[in-house]
Amino acid sequence: MGNDILLSVEDISKTYQLGTFGAGSLRREWQDWIDRRLGKRRQADAKQELQALKDICFQITRGEAVGIIGSNGSGKSTLLKIISRIIRPSTGRVRGRGTISSLLEVGTGFHHELSGRENIYISGYTLGMNKAEIRRKFDEIVAFSGVERFLDTPVKRYSSGMYVRLAFAVSAHLEPDILIVDEVLAVGDAEFQKKCMGKMETGSRKEGRTILFVSHHLQAVEQLCSRAIWLEKGKLMYDGESRDVVRTYMADTQQRISEKEWNDPEKAPGNERIRLRKIKATPADGSRLITVHTPIRLEAEFLVYEQKGTLNINLTLETPDGQCLFSNGTPSAKALPSLQTMEAIVPGKLLNNRTYWLTLTVMKDHREVVHSFVRCLPVDVEDDRGEMDYLGDWPGMIRPAIDAQLYIKDLL
Amino acid sequence: MYSNSYLSNDPLTRKPLPERIPAEKAAPSWEWEINARTESGNRGWKQLLSYRHLLFRMVRKEFLINYQQTVLGPLWIFIQPLLTLLVYVVVFGKLIRVPTSPGVPPVIFYLCGIVLWNFFHESFLMISRTFRENIHVFSKVYFPRLIAPLSVLITQFLRFLIQLLLLALLLLWFVLFEGYRPAPGPLLWMLPLTLLACGLMSLATGLLFAVWTGKYRDLINIVEVGVRLLFFITPVVYPLSAIPPEMQGWMMLNPLTSIFETFRACLLGAGEPTFSGLAYPLLFLVMTLPFALHLFNRQGSRLIDIV
Repeated sequence: MGNDILLSVEDISKTYQLGTFGAGSLRREWQDWIDRRLGKRRQADAKQELQALKDICFQITRGEAVGIIGSNGSGKSTLLKIISRIIRPSTGRVRGRGTISSLLEVGTGFHHELSGRENIYISGYTLGMNKAEIRRKFDEIVAFSGVERFLDTPVKRYSSGMYVRLAFAVSAHLEPDILIVDEVLAVGDAEFQKKCMGKMETGSRKEGRTILFVSHHLQAVEQLCSRAIWLEKGKLMYDGESRDVVRTYMADTQQRISEKEWNDPEKAPGNERIRLRKIKATPADGSRLITVHTPIRLEAEFLVYEQKGTLNINLTLETPDGQCLFSNGTPSAKALPSLQTMEAIVPGKLLNNRTYWLTLTVMKDHREVVHSFVRCLPVDVEDDRGEMDYLGDWPGMIRPAIDAQLYIKDLL
Repeated sequence: MYSNSYLSNDPLTRKPLPERIPAEKAAPSWEWEINARTESGNRGWKQLLSYRHLLFRMVRKEFLINYQQTVLGPLWIFIQPLLTLLVYVVVFGKLIRVPTSPGVPPVIFYLCGIVLWNFFHESFLMISRTFRENIHVFSKVYFPRLIAPLSVLITQFLRFLIQLLLLALLLLWFVLFEGYRPAPGPLLWMLPLTLLACGLMSLATGLLFAVWTGKYRDLINIVEVGVRLLFFITPVVYPLSAIPPEMQGWMMLNPLTSIFETFRACLLGAGEPTFSGLAYPLLFLVMTLPFALHLFNRQGSRLIDIV
């Protein structure tokens, strides 16, 4: 099977023209045409272009499940659209064998006025199923979605959950050689997400289906895919074993967001009494990534201009919705014009996988607020569930390591 | 390593394993390729044919969404031309007194024009909106883009056939009670050819404007005004014979002129249907349709980037 390459992406680049060029204005294009005739170079050419993808190369063999990760705007969707032949690459080519179906959204081809039954057919055909296939799977689709009773009701009267279930049910029964899935997991309730993940997992592991899966849900990529590809700003950064790629990607992202530095004191946050110079959050145990297990080192550097009294700093960690998680202070230090550093360690196995916000409040003589650096640093805690099966959301503001056990005490 | 405990009750996992193609030792033979020049319809007619069920479903969808949940339902297919007929009889017949073909009841004459014009005009406008109307689907899934305009054409043609029934009923009334004797000429067999020419004309022009309006949005306004203008320079509410002879040559430059004239001549025997009358529209089609199809296929995926 190792040699059975189904899809080969070769030096794909995609360039978009920015601005209004080519879209909307005849006059503009006419102007461009005249300019070209007169031999004038179009000015700011490079500025007008956006390189969405640059020289992407990879191959996929039959039965592989490949995850594509990367931040927003990294070119993931563009890549999927090219492979799905929705848009064309600017240069390079994609070659492949067999059929491709792409699920770039839930409910492609659905029409609100039509009944569930009609929609199953039209959506199925739109996604590339044939008549025999739909006939054969119709009952399965209905059973999977659980909307039997409303099959002849227009889908506009469906609850959004029912709508999504029906739409996903159609997609889940596609049997192409290569299945392309984009963020489908972002919809539906937890129960249904589990069902979808299960369906995809079955598809890839048991039926040997080749899947290309784009998601922000890194845990899902790690679970579902054996291999992952990390795209950043249109370039392929890393292609390898999924756990490895996901870790590297998360470490990179964290480092970028959880460190801030201001070299010019004029522009740094603060006031004439104190200014922030540097602030960062790093894993305190030497690992690359802040996860729910790692202790976190919080470091900050201040330029202190205050002349008298003592200063201490109050650390507050907030949840994304503004709930205070804890508030702790440092001991006092003498206030004099100097560079002062603060260091704090938040223990591991305490926080949940959230983005928390750090607020630092500088107090003088424990009474007067010198300055409050409100939400000055996001602290991104990644999930790490190891081999655990459950991929749904883990509730709770914190996730401390609670020693909980379950024993069989007596047989009935 | 990976347990699927929560899946064990799922009946869907009990699907038979698909047959695996044996691994090839040599370099794989590719079945398709996508590159910068791939046309969105490059897999040709065979591929188009494999999507025929989608085409039929889309036609069905058009009928379902247009006539579901309306009080009069499918009757609208009849009411719309009848209302238009009423307006034309009053405005063009009674007020402005535009002459109609001699010997043909004005009602029949107008209705002939209305049903054919509706067919051309509706399909042209809808096809020219292909990219704007379907962008949400086009940007999410691939299927031969031509399916969308073809489904419009078929839908409109079916509507036209139904409206033709109305014309037949009215014709029957005039024959039975008004003593009108239409003389469908010996060239009645040309009728299908005329309809084909009319349909393809709306397809060719519609596809061209679908691409152009997708590219230059300014054109949208011009198209709507243009079609309204076209209505007046096409013999829809008047026969070609009502035009001063020296202007008739200019009128014939419009390929729709002979289509409309031939249509009425075939059905009613008014005017002289000649085979050569259709030659010009057919020649026009031979020149424009392949170009329109090519442009549409070539620009299809490019337009997704910019619409």
